[in-house]
Amino acid sequence: MKPAVLNIALCALMLALFMASLAVGPAELGLSESVRGLFAGGEAAAIIMREIRLPRAVLGLAIGFTLGISGAVLQGFLRNPLAEPGIIGVSAMAAFGAVAIFYTGLAGTTLYALPAGALVGALAAVLLLLALAARSGSTLTLILAGVALSSLSGALTSLVLNLSPNPFASYEIIFWLLGSLKDRSIEHVWLALPLMIAGWLLIALSGRALDALSLGEEAAASLGIHMGRTRFVIVVGVALCVGAATAVAGTIGFIGLVVPHLIRPLTNRLPSRLLLPAGIGGAALLLAADVAVRVILPAGELNVGVLTALIGAPFFLWLVVRSRREVF
Amino acid sequence: MKRTIREAIISLTTLAISCTPALAHPPARVMSLNLCTDQLAMALAAPGQLASISFLSRDSSLSPRAKEAEAYPVNHGRAEEVFLARPDLVLTSTYSLQNTTGLLKRLGFRVEEFSFVQTLDTIPGEIRRMGGLLGREAQARKMATEFEAELSRIEARQCEPRPTALAYEQNGVALGRGTLADSVLAAAGFRNLASEAGISGMAPFPIETIVEEKPDVIITAADEENAPTLGERVPFHPALRALEGTRIGAFVPRGTWSCGGPAVIEAVKALAALREEIAPCGKAR
Repeated sequence: MKPAVLNIALCALMLALFMASLAVGPAELGLSESVRGLFAGGEAAAIIMREIRLPRAVLGLAIGFTLGISGAVLQGFLRNPLAEPGIIGVSAMAAFGAVAIFYTGLAGTTLYALPAGALVGALAAVLLLLALAARSGSTLTLILAGVALSSLSGALTSLVLNLSPNPFASYEIIFWLLGSLKDRSIEHVWLALPLMIAGWLLIALSGRALDALSLGEEAAASLGIHMGRTRFVIVVGVALCVGAATAVAGTIGFIGLVVPHLIRPLTNRLPSRLLLPAGIGGAALLLAADVAVRVILPAGELNVGVLTALIGAPFFLWLVVRSRREVF
Repeated sequence: MKRTIREAIISLTTLAISCTPALAHPPARVMSLNLCTDQLAMALAAPGQLASISFLSRDSSLSPRAKEAEAYPVNHGRAEEVFLARPDLVLTSTYSLQNTTGLLKRLGFRVEEFSFVQTLDTIPGEIRRMGGLLGREAQARKMATEFEAELSRIEARQCEPRPTALAYEQNGVALGRGTLADSVLAAAGFRNLASEAGISGMAPFPIETIVEEKPDVIITAADEENAPTLGERVPFHPALRALEGTRIGAFVPRGTWSCGGPAVIEAVKALAALREEIAPCGKAR
């Protein structure tokens, strides 16, 4: 499929799901009422649309885009079909960073503690994994290290929340381990969106290097690619956008894994050409999942991370089985 | 031989003592394992009668008697602690620590359980029951009567139209029909939106629905905590702060309506005063 056609088709899908996200909620607003609420006013409808549903839809789009593009860039850069921010432990470390700073009250009660902590956590995870990947090129080592890192940071997250003197903190373990977009507000959008955009731009800068790298590191170097710079750009880019996404929505797994694999066959298989459609596809998938959780269980509302794991984990297993046949 | 006879006599007398009604021999050492029984016991026990209370009672965000609780030793509700302390009576709630309760009963301790699914109407009865268990009937009768009198004084001041309120806790959970908060709101002269929406007990209440219903008051849990959580920010969502004419805040003194005890009257008073301020009686709104 031509890249332009693919991107436009995915964009149309994403926008349709964005609209669906705006239309779903416990308050039964008619179509004309919602549109008027969004653009014109009309008290209750305006507050519901602008302060509750719009932030949620924007975050769903941006976080989905982040996860999709990060999955695509990590799979290309590490040349590992199983790489993804959730599986290799970047999201889990980001969640731990956010929890460690916010719940201990080190930074007072300000929400800015969340992205600050999450960025540090995500950065530490990416650096650690790169160091590992540099020492051993095996697909398996990276994934195993990621599994260890995920479990460790999940356990540390639970530990910090259980140790908190506030008895209600431990109820929030589930949010950090299986993320959610429930009751987010425009504050969270301003908190996370600028950081995510900065991350996307950095990742986009690495496109040419990714293509060269698919020929191997030496070939890439002979094509004039500066490995150190490429690594820096990707590490900081992924840490920025995944950190910011996790800070406001908890850990949402598997989107970065599933989406690049679904979209790759539709591209010419150049890693750089996958970045944008994977981002848009990720946004569409997270928006769809977030609409689904509100429809399936309107009263209690399922965490969206539960749903993405339900879709993604079997897919992951299937990839493992398939890659065993091909790679190992 | 002599020793076994003496032991038999001792065990017979203990048996006799435990069979006689509590009234004759009030328990000398009482241990309370639950925040809510702590409050009733502290209010009624004779000096020195209460051997220990639960550690939660010293937490000022949960317990209205946190200061007073400093004077008592604390326990963490563990069976081993009870076993070592050997109290004559163990007080706990039917909900918490069920394994501990079962174990203690098997070990032969006298355990009295209080149900905390209760409303304002059940509190005088609980006060009297605690008084009976501790051998402090007179004090309990006085306290229960005062409670009832104070309550009916406040209830007599209700008037129409009654403003709407929502008791909105951590993570956007609302308190509906059958809860203590619901009966407190009714006594203070409010309509509870959660009950009217068909919620019984505790259930999540969507922010969108609140925006549609526009309650006059949103009552949050204590807003000063020693460590922050995300859940306690939910009642302060920008969408709710944007509602003109809706007051949001911790209008109920801390910990006063988490347990059915004499302190609940403080919650009723605070909310009645708030209602008076929002919708003064005798003036059409």
